[in-house]
Amino acid sequence: MTSTTTSGNMGAPNNPAAPVSLRKHRTLWQDAVRRFFNNRLAILGLIIVVIFLFLAIFADFLAPYPYDKADFTAVRLLPGVNPKYPLGTDEIGRDYLSRLIYGARTSMTVGITIQFIALLIGVPLGGLAGYLGGAVDFVVSRIIDVMTAFPGLIFSILVISLFGGGMWMVIFALSITSWIGIARLTRAQILSLREKEYIEAARCLGVTQRGIIFRHLIPNSLSPLLVAVSFGIPAAIFGEAGLSFLGIGINDPIASWGKMVGVSGAYVRVSWHMALFPTLAIALAMLGFSFLGDGLRDALDPKLTR
Amino acid sequence: MTRYIIGRFVSLFFVIIAVSMITFSLMHAVPGGPFDEEKQPLPPAAKANVLRKYGLDQPVWKQYVLYMSNAVRFDFGIPYQRPTSTVAELIRNTWGITAQVGLMTILLAFGLGIPLGIIAAYNQNSWIDTIVTFMSMLGFIMPSFVLGTLAILFFGVYLGWLPLGGWGDTGCLVDRYFCADWIMPVTAYALAPLAIIARYTRSSVIDYLNSDFVRTARAKGLGERTVMLRHVLRNALIPMVTVMGPIIPDLMTGSIFIESIFRIPGLGKYFVTSTFNRDYPMVMATVLLIALLWGLVYLATDILYTRLDPRVRLGAQEGQ
Repeated sequence: MTSTTTSGNMGAPNNPAAPVSLRKHRTLWQDAVRRFFNNRLAILGLIIVVIFLFLAIFADFLAPYPYDKADFTAVRLLPGVNPKYPLGTDEIGRDYLSRLIYGARTSMTVGITIQFIALLIGVPLGGLAGYLGGAVDFVVSRIIDVMTAFPGLIFSILVISLFGGGMWMVIFALSITSWIGIARLTRAQILSLREKEYIEAARCLGVTQRGIIFRHLIPNSLSPLLVAVSFGIPAAIFGEAGLSFLGIGINDPIASWGKMVGVSGAYVRVSWHMALFPTLAIALAMLGFSFLGDGLRDALDPKLTR
Repeated sequence: MTRYIIGRFVSLFFVIIAVSMITFSLMHAVPGGPFDEEKQPLPPAAKANVLRKYGLDQPVWKQYVLYMSNAVRFDFGIPYQRPTSTVAELIRNTWGITAQVGLMTILLAFGLGIPLGIIAAYNQNSWIDTIVTFMSMLGFIMPSFVLGTLAILFFGVYLGWLPLGGWGDTGCLVDRYFCADWIMPVTAYALAPLAIIARYTRSSVIDYLNSDFVRTARAKGLGERTVMLRHVLRNALIPMVTVMGPIIPDLMTGSIFIESIFRIPGLGKYFVTSTFNRDYPMVMATVLLIALLWGLVYLATDILYTRLDPRVRLGAQEGQ
């Protein structure tokens, strides 16, 4: 993972007068990891994210009931009333704790998949536009302009109203707009890196196009992309929760925090737990990912730290 | 300058055309229509009549050209859901409420965000600063419907102080100059922009507090009040124009979530029903309105910025 170009800037200067290096040599990434773990909020964020990922992966083993098992004798139980349902039940008697755990699976799946798709589309498009310039850059930039003028949520609602809801449709609808930020960032990165002296040096040394792209340009634009993705995941989770909250996202038996909040609106006077727990789950997930993103940004971009 | 503005208008024009074409073709590309059997059961002859009346029997490109040429003359057609009024009337009514929410939110966000940011900057690293930073972090991260739900649970259900929803229906004082059901939606909606504004104001003021000309002003014996008003704030608030840019159209077009959670009969809530009913004229008009508003406000902020700060030259950022 070491990119020679940057670690050369960061490491101790190669001064022949001081043959003994006072500081152990560390690569850029080792430095970043150290800075990250010195940041308490970042660690808190990482812990929250890991817990949610754990819940999402092992939901089948952790949840006391399947997500769609309805108990019509125990509808909208408040938490603590029946020890079988520690967090109560929903409007058709499904265990709320199990629904919340499976909701983590939905959120994480949607959030991570959307960012993955965004990278898959955004990096090549933005990279090509930045590297090739000219007509390619013009076309990509105009697409980005138009998509930016399109209000993202409205576009997603439009797409879902036409093609129907469901998990994969939500992912599709949100992916259409999610790659734009990544593409713009990649383009800007490549544009500024392309003119750097070490790229010119590499070119003079006869490094091939492919070598310049894969050995220099991509590794050096990796860290801003990583930060963008870590902020993009909570944005995507929010998008899914929002669409499901409006009742047009995830389809019924599947659990979704946003949908749980949306449904709870009708029962908020008596069944307060139905609104409270999924709201807290969304809040906690947003908090975790944001702390993680902040931590990554501070760790990867030392110029920003005060 | 004039050339730049004309250029921006031309590109805005093309963006609007592109947005309208995408919306229109997307709506028509998918099978089904507003007068399908399950939506409006009509005998075949009556259905053919309705389709002809709304021009839906024409080829799609003709419908598009017709719609756009009418739209230029501010005729946005008749909503299929409510054929007795026009789209323009419907948007005026629903957007009126949305804009009311938005305006109050803007007032609250700027009226509270800027002073909070200034106070936090002047008392850097004090407890006030910690509270403001913490609050702005929460407002930054939390989706408005999460805040809205929590507010309803706490202030509406648990404490019972505020009405759970509605707009201008409950707790109105003095001829509806103030209503109790305004408080929660506006507060929940304002927290995110308030957080952004407070954060930017704080960092901008801190930057200028440490600048050379402020030290000079203090050294020559100017009062703290003059230093703050004439030297710090005058400079520090200029970058706020770029922050205001995206916030204003965003708030003026409303939040579907806030309107849905607090049962406010605004534009956003109507948009969702319009898309699901395939109400083409209504959807087109809403999308056009929002895209136009965004484009114009962005342009206005860019121009305003050069007026306020002569060091910024328009078009410079285009060249990279």
